[in-house]
Amino acid sequence: MTTATGTRTLTLREIGPAERGTRPEEVVIALSPAFGDPFTKTIVDVPHAEVIRQLLAGIEEQGGVARTIKVYRTADLAAIAHFGAKLSGSGIAVGILARGTTVVHQRDLARLSNLELFPQAPLLDAEVFRMIGANAAQYAQSRSPRPVPTRNDQMARPRWQAKAALLHLKEFECIDHARAAVEVEPVITRVD
Amino acid sequence: MTVDLTPADYPLSINRPELLRTPTGKALADITMAAVVSGEVTAEDLRVTPETLVLQGRIAESAGRRQLGENCRRAAEMTAIPDAEVLAMYNALRPNASSAAQLEEIATRLEGTYSATTCAALVREAAEVYAARNLLADDSGEF
Amino acid sequence: MTAVEPRPQTAEVRASKRTEILENRPVNLDGFVEEWPEKGLVAMESDFDPQPSIRVEGGRIVELDGRTREQFDFMDTFIADHAIDVDTCEQAMAIESVEIARMLVDPRTSRADVVALGRGLTPAKILDVVKLMNVVEIMMGMQKVRSRRTPANQAHSTSAKDNPIQVAADAAEAAVRGFAELETTLGVLRYAPLVAIGLQVGGQVGRGGVLTQCALEEATELDLGMRGITAYAETISIYGTESVFVDGDDTPWSKAFLASAYASRGIKMRFTSGTGSEVQMGNAEGRSMLFLEIRCILMAKGAGVQGLQNGSISCIGVPGAVPGGIRAVAAENLVASWMDLECASGNDQSFSHSAMRRTSRLVPQLFSGTDFVCSGYSGVPNKDNMFAGSNLDTEDYDDWNTIQRDMQVDGGLRHVREDVILQVRNKAARALQAVFAELDLPAITDEEVEAATYADSSDDYPDRDVLADLEGARSVMERGVTGLDLVKVLERSGFGDVAENYLQVLRQRVSGDLLQTAAIFTGDFVPLAAVNDANDYAGPGTGYRLSGERWEELKKLRHVTSAENPEEEVV
Repeated sequence: MTTATGTRTLTLREIGPAERGTRPEEVVIALSPAFGDPFTKTIVDVPHAEVIRQLLAGIEEQGGVARTIKVYRTADLAAIAHFGAKLSGSGIAVGILARGTTVVHQRDLARLSNLELFPQAPLLDAEVFRMIGANAAQYAQSRSPRPVPTRNDQMARPRWQAKAALLHLKEFECIDHARAAVEVEPVITRVD
Repeated sequence: MTVDLTPADYPLSINRPELLRTPTGKALADITMAAVVSGEVTAEDLRVTPETLVLQGRIAESAGRRQLGENCRRAAEMTAIPDAEVLAMYNALRPNASSAAQLEEIATRLEGTYSATTCAALVREAAEVYAARNLLADDSGEF
Repeated sequence: MTAVEPRPQTAEVRASKRTEILENRPVNLDGFVEEWPEKGLVAMESDFDPQPSIRVEGGRIVELDGRTREQFDFMDTFIADHAIDVDTCEQAMAIESVEIARMLVDPRTSRADVVALGRGLTPAKILDVVKLMNVVEIMMGMQKVRSRRTPANQAHSTSAKDNPIQVAADAAEAAVRGFAELETTLGVLRYAPLVAIGLQVGGQVGRGGVLTQCALEEATELDLGMRGITAYAETISIYGTESVFVDGDDTPWSKAFLASAYASRGIKMRFTSGTGSEVQMGNAEGRSMLFLEIRCILMAKGAGVQGLQNGSISCIGVPGAVPGGIRAVAAENLVASWMDLECASGNDQSFSHSAMRRTSRLVPQLFSGTDFVCSGYSGVPNKDNMFAGSNLDTEDYDDWNTIQRDMQVDGGLRHVREDVILQVRNKAARALQAVFAELDLPAITDEEVEAATYADSSDDYPDRDVLADLEGARSVMERGVTGLDLVKVLERSGFGDVAENYLQVLRQRVSGDLLQTAAIFTGDFVPLAAVNDANDYAGPGTGYRLSGERWEELKKLRHVTSAENPEEEVV
């Protein structure tokens, strides 16, 4: 089936072990074990390809540079993001779970703290991911962006809480303690 | 003072007010608006005494609530501990927050400084379980 | 995308018109998932739950539900050493589960007997018993084993803008409508002192003796309690697996210590737990939601805390999505009550898009009666509810009152005439205005008082200067303002009756009376607990019955045609 807008797929091409970056304006995008593979979209069906595309676009439009890593040993968002921040040349990272939950983290903060947290994955769409990318790039350049406006929807719980739990359990199953984090190149292919 | 209490004595504020005192020795009936306005009654008066907590613990036990009674006894011991130290001790009891030696230090202080023997026993019990379950503070570094 | 947006239409095949109608029913916006028992995504019937067992050696429990002491995790250890009665457990465990289930249902078995038996049971045995009970039997059990004879209710009073005047006015209205407890929380945490003051002042305007709390992280919550700005605490979370408990940065011992800390200051406190939290956090260790919740209940009992808020609470979307999940939620309330704890029974979070499902979820607690049917009912429109919405909100007041009248059940509320509501809302706002003025906090204008009198939601109030308010909130903490200071301020600014009510609440700390199980205050400041108001249900014609003056009160609704003069309505 083809549509006017087309769809995009995401491939994460492994480059090598995840290492500490040196570029001072760098933002690390740290992905969870199930992101991109085996899962392909967030809890509200935003394709992972679109998530990455928007984050990259947001980072780029603020003059930042991005590097993407994938973590296998934990599915804890705070741990993933904090790990990414420690590898980031600027100390700034965006951590994302397969279901879409996102956090912007900074190396010097406590693991359970953060710069901006987006706990309600069902409310995150392409526009929000772009704003998150843009803010991360600004933090990386030591600027103080206005936090992305948080959305609240009291009916998200009845609709998505159980699916979120299910996705979380599936993500836990993808944890591979034997596999160290790797740097990946996100390859976005348009399928018409 | 040994008083045998049963559920029929509850509420103490109504049925046994003569048994109640504020930490500064005032009776419940002395806590009036006039006394508050004149400054005779202070925030210090609006706290529960260890004696009262023991009485409430007896009522709980007489109603078959052994654990609530024990909690009241621990609470009676804790009335002597300043607010900030109570909070610090609570934080020290969180998982991976203290070493065995630090918990023992707290237990010793509870016993020695505050005569809080049941609280000390709870802390020692925690230390034993934390050791067995790998929940003592360790510096091997986290993820 | 939002939760109320319809599901994307993917049907390529033509559907019937009826299917289209059904597709668009609110219930189809709710999320449902298949069970996954291996991971604990199952309500209460799982092959992966342990079989009941117990063994005592030398006055100590050495085996619990198939694990020996060296295999115990910290929940097992705490439950074995603190919750279960060593002297009676072997005898209690020997009784067949079906026999115990019958005792729970049969009114001829007294509450005292079934509670005494429960002291000797393990989590797996308790699960085995309640698994035999259908939802009506669970309700039969609940009406007998709830601890306080008189049911009560709790409200949330919060503001999407953390506006303290709104919180005060809505607290006053909630109190006059009958809630025994009021709970608030914040969007911006630094607002806490002002909002907690608003809640307390408003509550004491509405009905003297209402108890208030402010849900915050443990240390600040305790601090506000110790100052006498709040009267009790509830959001002390516990979990059913060791790993999730540790993730929450606590252990049964740290929480037991905290329970005693609250009691040592004369402050009422209950723990919070609920089905679904462990699987939601990814570490259910392959146990069913109800099995893990029963472990929480026994942990709470072992700690000696007087009560527990349970009924899934903020995880209700999880049991709500699996088969039999709401039956399990009713069962967890039953077990908390059976274990002789005060039970604040949930119904406190947005649960479904469907009004029918929302009501049916409420039935077990409302019809059986619990210590607090909701914990709480949103005393503000759900969009202002900072606990992310409740199962019931202000729009449901008249429905609730009508259901009470239809079924002759007491859900703790009543219809109140408009003039009374306007009067208490106005007075609450004026009292807070006086308090703010006396404490040199950012002024509350007459325009704000007027708005509070007639408002529905935070949209109906003039915006506050948030930065100035936050500065004021900081100064309240720094100056060490106490509840007693607020009493004095109210007294000297012409709100002597409110001051008197507040003083009575503070005075109660000296007696410790509110530390007993399920304690609340009547309107005459008589402590009512599961000691002087113990549940004495023993079958038809016994226990709490809605009659007399209270029943007359509940017969009133907004519109009832007068029998004497059918051209008029009863006022």
